[in-house]
Amino acid sequence: MSYFRITLHRSAIGLPKRTRGVLAALGLHRRGQLVFHPVSAQFAGMIMKVKELVRVDEVDRPLTRREVYVERRPEPGFWVESARGAFQQGQEGGQQVGGGEEGEVRL
Amino acid sequence: MFGPFRITNPLSGGLLWKIPWRLSPTQKARQRKRLRAVDQVIETVTNALAKKGETLKSLDRWKAEMPTEAEMLPRDKYTMFDRKAKRYRKGIHKLPKWTRVSQRINPPGF
Repeated sequence: MSYFRITLHRSAIGLPKRTRGVLAALGLHRRGQLVFHPVSAQFAGMIMKVKELVRVDEVDRPLTRREVYVERRPEPGFWVESARGAFQQGQEGGQQVGGGEEGEVRL
Repeated sequence: MFGPFRITNPLSGGLLWKIPWRLSPTQKARQRKRLRAVDQVIETVTNALAKKGETLKSLDRWKAEMPTEAEMLPRDKYTMFDRKAKRYRKGIHKLPKWTRVSQRINPPGF
């Protein structure tokens, strides 16, 4: 069973009451909020009503609150792009320089 | 002389609230991006429903009537029909809530 992953991307301030009602029925109350609903004509029709305001993906299962939290958490640490040269030459000044993605160096 | 209530032409009475008659290139780029975002939502919903074998009247109607961003003419992306405007066209940014409503088609011949 697949689900719609719906994110409220644009605010409904100043839009008709019907539109805001559809968002409330989808469970979207604030911008950036994420909800999951099963793929069905009923929810597809609701998405059609607010298609300008939301971003939609199809996913296999709904994420738990914990998974959403982990997904939104930024990566720990920081990236130093100017350390690229140091990475190529090896360790310098006692700094641990580890490899990151292509074109990036992680300290 | 300074501050929020300084005397400027728009504030000293009269109707002088200047809205440019056409969109800037960046406004147009963002408009295209919004059009593509709606196309993306439509595509996702279509594919999801097709997998389940369900149909939706509003979706069929949208796909029959509305062109996608790539199919639209520039004049339909950035301007819209207005019976009172010279040459029957005005900038789409004159439409209330224009960044959050779909305005894609215009009367044939205009």
